[in-house]
Amino acid sequence: MACCQSYIPDYFAITDILSTEERISCKIEVELPGLGFLDSSCQSENLKVGTKVEFPLWLAEPLKNLQNSVVSVDIPKIYKEGYREILEADAEVIVLSKWNPFYYELGMHVRKFSDRDYEIITESLLQTFKSRFQLVMDWSQNAMSDPTLSIQLPRLERDLFLIGQQAKIRLVEWLKMGTNELVVSEITTNLKKRKREQYEFD
Amino acid sequence: MENNGDVQMTAENDDQEEEEVTAQSVLLAIEEAWLNEKFAPEILPHRSDLVDCMLQQIMHMEENMKRLDKEDLRLMIHRMELDRIKYVITNYLRARLEKIEKYTIHILSQEATRSSEECYLTVAELQFAKEFLTNIEMLFKTIALQHMPGNFQTFEVDTLTVKPNLQTYVFLRANDRINGIIVPGSMDEEIDLEPGSQHIIQYSAVADLVKSGAVKLI
Amino acid sequence: MYGRKGFKLISELDLYSDILPFNEALIKEVLQEMQSLYDANVANSNAIRNDNNMALLPSVQLRHIALKRNKRCILAYIYNRMRKLKELRWELGSILPPEINTNLINAEVQWFQSYNKSLAKYMRSLGEDHGFNLTTNMVPPKTLYVEVKCVEDFGKLELDDGQVILLKKNTYHLLPRSVCEPLIRQGILEHKST
Repeated sequence: MACCQSYIPDYFAITDILSTEERISCKIEVELPGLGFLDSSCQSENLKVGTKVEFPLWLAEPLKNLQNSVVSVDIPKIYKEGYREILEADAEVIVLSKWNPFYYELGMHVRKFSDRDYEIITESLLQTFKSRFQLVMDWSQNAMSDPTLSIQLPRLERDLFLIGQQAKIRLVEWLKMGTNELVVSEITTNLKKRKREQYEFD
Repeated sequence: MENNGDVQMTAENDDQEEEEVTAQSVLLAIEEAWLNEKFAPEILPHRSDLVDCMLQQIMHMEENMKRLDKEDLRLMIHRMELDRIKYVITNYLRARLEKIEKYTIHILSQEATRSSEECYLTVAELQFAKEFLTNIEMLFKTIALQHMPGNFQTFEVDTLTVKPNLQTYVFLRANDRINGIIVPGSMDEEIDLEPGSQHIIQYSAVADLVKSGAVKLI
Repeated sequence: MYGRKGFKLISELDLYSDILPFNEALIKEVLQEMQSLYDANVANSNAIRNDNNMALLPSVQLRHIALKRNKRCILAYIYNRMRKLKELRWELGSILPPEINTNLINAEVQWFQSYNKSLAKYMRSLGEDHGFNLTTNMVPPKTLYVEVKCVEDFGKLELDDGQVILLKKNTYHLLPRSVCEPLIRQGILEHKST
């Protein structure tokens, strides 16, 4: 890439589409005729008021924001006070990807659900990221790091980790004496590997 | 009394030196333009004046090189210099193309509001941008849009627009002294920049300064 | 729940970095879901209009959101494949290896050709006569000449100074860097570092 661009969700962004598929606990506020099947335990044809359902964020958010809110939403507990306090205590030891693989991206969406907690959640996301950032950077710069590390990291950190690793590798190569080695494009390598595999199977 | 021949030689040398100085400063300017383009989130006003000048320079150098003996050491030096210049130009133009490809609709709509003196894209870039948009529209229509029900067939320009994040943080070095930059989000705190000083700040606060050359991105 | 097929499309994109065969079947399924959502909404809208049955409105709204989501998934799938294709143009040149070509749908092949044309036109417009090739010189130069081993038969290669080199498999050469760059990327030459 010839230019440097930071991540920002847009219509085509894969990360944004994936993170908005995450489930949010909702309560139906207006009856939804003909959509009873959206609740697996529902017997009737209509989705009744008061039913608790789990809708994906991409559905829950706009339904809530309609003039006549069709649902009310519950902020996922990982962004609530109890969990926030755990992070404040020591964010580095938490395996954030277990809480949610899209912890940060989801948080950025979910904070909009509460006027009261909007600032607090935003601040919590920022502080969490700051406390963990050093760790992520250290891991990415350490050539001996565990290959399973990236799985433990939530998406945003994982992407940074991988970029950091790449950068370190390229720096080391550049610092090596003399030649700036030209490399086969990764795509060509993959194609050749697959060709070889096919050949072996024939 | 000076030999006529000597005087002529001196004059020629002076001309050559002047030419070199100009070529050097253009190369420096293009390097700065390249780095600015690389780090700025939005596309910047084009520097086709520098690019055209540099491409001419490349042509001259290649002409000169043809006249040199293949074993001539100067050939190697010229080639290295050429490679360097080509690298800078290539990456400058590629950074611009990448932005055009990513923010096509946004760039085209912004460009439409600018007069021909203020335009950010070269004529060729504008053409490229329009063709890129047409090609994407065709791709979407052929595979998907035409098979969608009712109103959903529309290529919704507003929804599909991708905009650059102007709040990105950038590293900069101040070329001149600059007073009164408002630091975003901090209750309108103002700062001054000393020439040569380095800072990290949100791009939106310094966008105009980048475009005017008062600061450069690093 | 609606949108699961669309999600599958995007997950597939996310999981693999190469361009896989175009998932026509899954696209069709998402389009079908869109059609049935749309039909239900048309029926409901008519009922709202004719019988003044406003109770149906929230369901219509929900289905509309699901329709938009499906559209987004489909367009993002096409867009991100296009982005990878674009990268390939810069990595491998204007002719795609057959393994990748077979994974593309016709419209994508067309798009690639149009992109090529557009790019070539732009590059030709640079400089006075012969344009300027942006697909070489992408890597910072450190040495002038590079030692390479030819790993695949390529045939004759003409250098800037008119010299013609025969690139046969398993031969070694010392060649100008800019000439080697694209061939190394394509896997025809291998850079031998000293």
